[in-house]
Amino acid sequence: MNSLERVIAAVHFQPTDRVPVMPQVFGHAAVLAGVRLGAYLRDGALLARCQLHALAYYAYDAVFALMDVNVETEALGSTLTYHPDQYPSVRSYRLAGAAKLDTLAVPDPQRAGRMPEVLKAARILRQTVGRDVPVVGCVMGPMTLATQLLGIEAALYLAIDHPEQFADLLDFTAEVGMRFGLAQMEAGAHLPIVFDPSASPEVIPPAFYRELVLPRLTRVFTAFKQAGAPINWLHTAGMTTPILSFYPNAGVELANLDFCVDPQQAMQVLPQTCLDGNLKPLLFVEGTPAEVAAESLRLLHLFAHRGGFILSSGCEIPPESQPENIAALVHATRQPR
Amino acid sequence: MYATTMDALVQALLDGDQAQAISTTKHLLAAEVAIGQILAEGVEVAMAQLDAKCTIEQFNLLEIMLCGRAVMGIMKELYPPDMPVQPTKAAVVVATLEGDVHDLGKNILKMVLTASSYRVVDCGKDCPVERLIDTVERERPLAVGISGLLTTVMPQVRRVRQRLAERGLSYVKVMAGGAALKQATAENLNVDLVAQSAFDGLHYLEQIVGGGT
Ligand code: B12
Repeated sequence: MNSLERVIAAVHFQPTDRVPVMPQVFGHAAVLAGVRLGAYLRDGALLARCQLHALAYYAYDAVFALMDVNVETEALGSTLTYHPDQYPSVRSYRLAGAAKLDTLAVPDPQRAGRMPEVLKAARILRQTVGRDVPVVGCVMGPMTLATQLLGIEAALYLAIDHPEQFADLLDFTAEVGMRFGLAQMEAGAHLPIVFDPSASPEVIPPAFYRELVLPRLTRVFTAFKQAGAPINWLHTAGMTTPILSFYPNAGVELANLDFCVDPQQAMQVLPQTCLDGNLKPLLFVEGTPAEVAAESLRLLHLFAHRGGFILSSGCEIPPESQPENIAALVHATRQPR
Repeated sequence: MYATTMDALVQALLDGDQAQAISTTKHLLAAEVAIGQILAEGVEVAMAQLDAKCTIEQFNLLEIMLCGRAVMGIMKELYPPDMPVQPTKAAVVVATLEGDVHDLGKNILKMVLTASSYRVVDCGKDCPVERLIDTVERERPLAVGISGLLTTVMPQVRRVRQRLAERGLSYVKVMAGGAALKQATAENLNVDLVAQSAFDGLHYLEQIVGGGT
């Protein structure tokens, strides 16, 4: 079984030769290769090279054509501050102040901001790994892009004070995600992961999620499925237990669990949805390989009977993580069952 | 009449109804109720009720944000921008450090402290330690509050006390909070307090000021 077959089989609860392992190695790939994060995030070819290096080094089951959470907002006109060794931040939000939504158009992924570099990364990764390893792109979920266009507080206040305007904004951000995701698939990504941290119950109440976010998310996933995505993968950070039950209706087939979510509870709520997670990100920085191995084995045991599981971290593996700890995670899936 | 208006203010704040809170405050001011009294019997009472309601398990962010916004609105009524220095308990400098853009928690802290009559100086997000220290030197606050949601900022946090000491500012207390920092201990981060919530930070300051619980 190659990685792509293994991952697809796990998502459909079919037998696999071993449990797939997809640690969320994004910026860490740069650090591992001795490349500065700031350069990695602006150069698709460099990003692809580092991702391939990390894949060869750790031998896990995916590569990521993924930069950071600011690609879409930058493409739409927000300005960023870049750092040599850290993720960039938004310096000015495109929709701050009196700027109107109707002054925005869905950006062309072939041209706007760093989008073409993301596509380049997807293309190179796919050319190299072909059908052996899933090439995972990334788009921001509708809620997160809304908060990245307005600033998170302004976005939340808009949602409360002018719900119709906010709904229009979410329609727009969903459209941006759809278009960007489809372009990633055309460039070679097997699927884009939908990353929606700002939709976390740590930020918005579950009813808000159900009424406003879910319908748009459904649209995004439907479009990806129609375009041939083998898996619809959703990533919402933080304590997501209260919203997990909504996922299947949105077309989610693989749900990321952050470290604070109880996997047993998640299994009960999502009996037919493949789950990935959920080691604590900080453990990869401050823990030991023995601790990572123990945590990994605990999860592998927990899911041994049910299946529908991919071993991973709860969220991004911090760039400054110890490589031995990531190796220990991967190694756990290679042990005889 | 005055008591019922004060109750109405508390209710408007708890409802997060900024317009209502402002108009009620205008009534109170017109009736010559002292600013200090509006703060003590209106704003602080509302904050105490919100504090009691917001446990770690049951934390309604939007509710706090709306209340915070209403408080900020009436602060503008009580202290118009042209008014000279406002009487406050003490200053607190808050920041999210370089490389970290998560500022929601910091902004909640700012609202909670402002509503409790602290003067909050906000260094914003993605703030280098040096800028934070410069601000402390200028503002001479009682404490700094650092919000950190990324583990990568931990080394920066550990440096803060040392840098303060080098400028003769060792008396300034250092508080830390936010999803990444609250996984660590105060010793590990070399700070005075690791707060689980914004209200934790408030309680700690009240202890130092000796003003309350
Ligand atoms: C919303 C969110 C975002 C939004 C932030 C928008 C904004 N302007 O703030 C966006 C989409 C931008 C974002 C981006 C990223 N995020 Co994010 N995000 C979150 C999420 C889901 C919620 C954070 C939040 O706002 N919570 C609500 C607030 C109110 O809570 P709070 O900050 O804890 O504050 C409360 C208390 O802690 C306290 N408090 C806070 N600070 C202080 C300070 C003091 C002194 C005191 C007294 C109290 C106090 O007061 C508040 C009320 O009580 C968290 C998940 C989580 N578990 O926290 C991830 C999380 C923080 N993000 C994470 C990551 C990895 C990222 C990215 C790096 C992703 C990427 N690869 O690009 C980027 C970071 C870019 C950067 N340079 O910083 C990780 C961090 C892990 C790590 N490495 O440490 C988290 C923890 C998810 C996870 N489990 O892994 N994210």
